[in-house]
Amino acid sequence: MSEEKSTSIVPGNNELRPAHGQTAAIEIHDLVVKYGSKRAVDGLTFTVPTGTIFGFLGPNGSGKTTTIKTLLGFRQPDGGSARVFGYDIANQSLQVRARIGYVNETNSLYDYLTIPQLCAFSRSLSREWNQQVVDRYIEVFGLPPREKVGHLSKGMKSQLALCLALGSNPDLLILDEPTTGLDPLARHEFLNTLVSEVAAEGKTIFFSSHILSEVEAVADWVAIIRVGKLVLCEELDHLKQTQKVIKLTYIDLPPVSEIERLRSLPEVMSLAQEGRSVRLIAHGDLDTLMQTLQARPYALREVETVDLNLEDLFMEYMKESNNGR
Amino acid sequence: MVAKEFIEARWKAIICCLLALALVVVSTATYDLFKSVLSGTSSQMPQFLQQQVQQFTSSYSLYVWGNWFAKNGPEIMAALAIVLGSALIAAEVNKGTIFYLLGKPISRERVLLTKYAVSALILFAVTVLSSVVLLVTSALVGYSQPIGGVVISTLLLWLGVLFPLGLALMFSVLFKDALWPLICALTIIILTAIPGFFPNWGAWSLPGYWSSQAAYLGQAFPAKEFIISLIAAVLPLILAIILFRRQEY
Repeated sequence: MSEEKSTSIVPGNNELRPAHGQTAAIEIHDLVVKYGSKRAVDGLTFTVPTGTIFGFLGPNGSGKTTTIKTLLGFRQPDGGSARVFGYDIANQSLQVRARIGYVNETNSLYDYLTIPQLCAFSRSLSREWNQQVVDRYIEVFGLPPREKVGHLSKGMKSQLALCLALGSNPDLLILDEPTTGLDPLARHEFLNTLVSEVAAEGKTIFFSSHILSEVEAVADWVAIIRVGKLVLCEELDHLKQTQKVIKLTYIDLPPVSEIERLRSLPEVMSLAQEGRSVRLIAHGDLDTLMQTLQARPYALREVETVDLNLEDLFMEYMKESNNGR
Repeated sequence: MVAKEFIEARWKAIICCLLALALVVVSTATYDLFKSVLSGTSSQMPQFLQQQVQQFTSSYSLYVWGNWFAKNGPEIMAALAIVLGSALIAAEVNKGTIFYLLGKPISRERVLLTKYAVSALILFAVTVLSSVVLLVTSALVGYSQPIGGVVISTLLLWLGVLFPLGLALMFSVLFKDALWPLICALTIIILTAIPGFFPNWGAWSLPGYWSSQAAYLGQAFPAKEFIISLIAAVLPLILAIILFRRQEY
């Protein structure tokens, strides 16, 4: 996990400054990308600090892939700007791509080529190429080194795509749904390599996914987008520290007015009541919230604080985002 | 990247090359047979057809030029050019490999021009090989052909079929599978050839400039044909570059 100072942004207050002495791998500012009149990415602003594993989350059709395609120059932005290691994506796309290793969601490679032929092809397209690195990762994944790409399984193709992406010695790896379609074992192997080998070399990893458990297992930072807009961007550890489930059990059934009072507290994201039990999902200054709860006039039998996992957080932010629409 | 393009196009090129070579052999080895068959049947033909057949079979060189450089050669080479060109970008988009390709630090112009150059080289190789087989087969059946005329006609045919290649490439940029570029390019080539079927409209037929009888027989240098074919080759390529630069994926 990275040691950056935690900095969060929320929509409407989108200034994120990397921690002292740290440069940004990706800086996106007010990015807009349209398909016809539809805004697939709508005023997106966030920063990816260097050396982090950054999980880019959102439901299907939320604009994750469009954002990635725009960073790589497959699409031109319709508004705003983005920089990768200081290079403007619109005007310096070649410099941007020279620093990036990219694995796309379909893992589409040239089936009629053998692995050595595909390596030679990739080398001819890259500014820098380290065949030893590719060979090492091919060995790590146990891929048949001279096999035709079309004869590899889907999991093997994902692993090969990662090997090839690493061959150009990129500073930033962009992985778009890299584990889609992989069985749990292949997914585990893929993510394990990503963390233990790639991130350990200090490379920045920006990956989109809707498999929240895998993001939680590897990411330092997460950003959540929905209908092209940023919902959340925060360091995962900080997010977990400041977002909890609080279970309150009252001695007597609390009145409706008390429930409404709790619901109106600024730290409470959502509330569910079941008899004498109330379940709060809270964020922000939790110490203050606990003091407020203890000071309420209705007697509590028990107060229990439970950590949220990323899936809970994601669902809450999606719900909140829906309500705020 | 060049090697990958050759590997990708190899089967199309080999099949079209074998077909072209078979047509060359037929075009060059059937003169005596054709002439003897016609001598027995020409009296039953209409007057205008008799004149055409007599002109066509008046010399071996004319027969070979008419069969290969004016008819079968342009047809088979244009077909190969369209098949190659229509898949260059559209097939990458269809298979999703365009993201692998364009994710690398190379310009779109380089991608497009490399693909075009490899296809042009394949067309050149097939055209030259066909001409070599033409000369060899002619010698085997006891006729000699004008080397200079064969060389100029070979170059002109190759330059001519760069138009369908560029056209197919241009449509390949616009579509997501290789079938539509093939249909569009083929339709345009057929349309440009239609004037050639009408008397006095031959000058408006673009494929008519892909060969020159006078050049083959060593009577004149086909400067006009070269210039028109060159312009026709360059225009769709420039359009393809502009379109590919703007295309979003």
